[in-house]
Amino acid sequence: MSRLVVSDLSVNRAELPVVSQVSLVAESGAISVLLGANGAGKTTLLEGLSGIIPVAGGRIELDGREIQKARPGVRSREGLAHVEQGRTVFRQLTTEENLKVGLSREAELAQAYDLFPELVQRRTIRAGLLSGGEQQMLVIARALLTRPKVLFIDEMSAGLAPVIVTRLMNAVRRLADEGLAVLLVEQFAALALSIGDRAYVMRRGRIVHDGECKALAKKPDELHRLYLGTEAA
Amino acid sequence: MDALLTSAVAGLTAGGTYALLGVCAVFTYRLVSVVNFTGAAIGTAGTFALIALTEAGYPTWPSVFAGILVGTFVGVAIGYVMTRWFAESSASTKAAVTVALLVGLIAVGLRLTGGQHPHVMPELFPGSAFRLAGVEVTIASMLTIGLAVLFTVLSDLFLNRTRVGLHLRALSDRPMAAELLGVKVQLLSLLVWGLTGAFTTFALMIIAPQRSPNFMTLSLLVVPALAAALVGLFRSFWLTLAGGILLGVIEGMASTVDSISQYRSAIPFLVVLAVLLWSQREARWDEAR
Repeated sequence: MSRLVVSDLSVNRAELPVVSQVSLVAESGAISVLLGANGAGKTTLLEGLSGIIPVAGGRIELDGREIQKARPGVRSREGLAHVEQGRTVFRQLTTEENLKVGLSREAELAQAYDLFPELVQRRTIRAGLLSGGEQQMLVIARALLTRPKVLFIDEMSAGLAPVIVTRLMNAVRRLADEGLAVLLVEQFAALALSIGDRAYVMRRGRIVHDGECKALAKKPDELHRLYLGTEAA
Repeated sequence: MDALLTSAVAGLTAGGTYALLGVCAVFTYRLVSVVNFTGAAIGTAGTFALIALTEAGYPTWPSVFAGILVGTFVGVAIGYVMTRWFAESSASTKAAVTVALLVGLIAVGLRLTGGQHPHVMPELFPGSAFRLAGVEVTIASMLTIGLAVLFTVLSDLFLNRTRVGLHLRALSDRPMAAELLGVKVQLLSLLVWGLTGAFTTFALMIIAPQRSPNFMTLSLLVVPALAAALVGLFRSFWLTLAGGILLGVIEGMASTVDSISQYRSAIPFLVVLAVLLWSQREARWDEAR
């Protein structure tokens, strides 16, 4: 059982505060969904958690070990994996080479192909030539092969057809059911809440809601109010 | 005709060195995304360490080894500056930083080595390897070309057949994505800088006796090196290798033609200009239409 505990985390961009005193938890077997309007600070928060941006204050504990000062590579080796937005495949490498970058043992490649059998046919194709959906599958599978304890996924549905988004959401649910802790940032709130367990809503860099996904999914007006900070019409 | 052939063959030594320096420039550009203007200056630093040690009476080959270590260290030091403070900068900013570092290295190098003070550079590989059409082909020229070919072959094999090579290719595409997968980005970047530093140092040690062994002259060999790299469009090791050798041969042949011999050092600039114009031809033709 792994547990990521974030306490009072603040992250700045260009010395401007973007994330302020955020606290949240991601646990094995559960999907924590992070929602919020554009500019709420979701991506900055994930970048602070994975070490892309240094944190300005607060603590990040993975299974009791403080990691907020570690470089991204160290955090990765400790068990954090981050699927960035924008489908960051290594364009010049083939699908299989992309998978092998984070791989510790060759035999584990089968796990990636088991999760996304679509990639088997495309394993010798340069990743830059894959479709958007295939690229998203590839980056999720690639992150999975680092054997993470916690997986951050940022806006995986952006620019993809609904049928592909559903396929990806089901795969993420399967990963959580197999014991992974997932922190999912998503614009498609309804879909994310349907597969998630715990929901956080961010507004202006702060967490303004922490509760069950199912409960929030039943209250779209409440979600609207949380997003915009106003009473629903 | 004989004089032309002799000069062409004489140009092979310089060509081999341009090729190796060019291949190292491509290696650095492809893997750490830096157009490195300090490549030859790094090798020059190691070469002058060899000169200082031999002038102080130390035996040649241990001094060669020490010189290569110095070149490697200077390469790693510059790599540290680039990866520590400029990893996320644009390609043009990185190139500008290496130009600044080149100026700094030349200034420090000239100061430490006494400017135009004459130095005796030991000839590491004297003598002739064989005769080609009646012309002596030196061991030095064969060695520089051999070293350039070896570096090219090893680079290809290393990048395409090893796990570290795979990590380097990932790093060159998206450094942050590679780091997020646990790739030791900074360590690998320093490895690239150190490796190219070692190879350029050895190449310059071979060619230095045939050049004016002063810090600035050797450091400015970066110009033909980058011209060779441009022939390979900073991607192809083999085209860069061919470009470097051809450049050396053309320079050698130009030395026999009285009317152009004094301008032969401008040949790399002409090559740079020609390649840049050629690479822009589609844009120009589109505009013309």
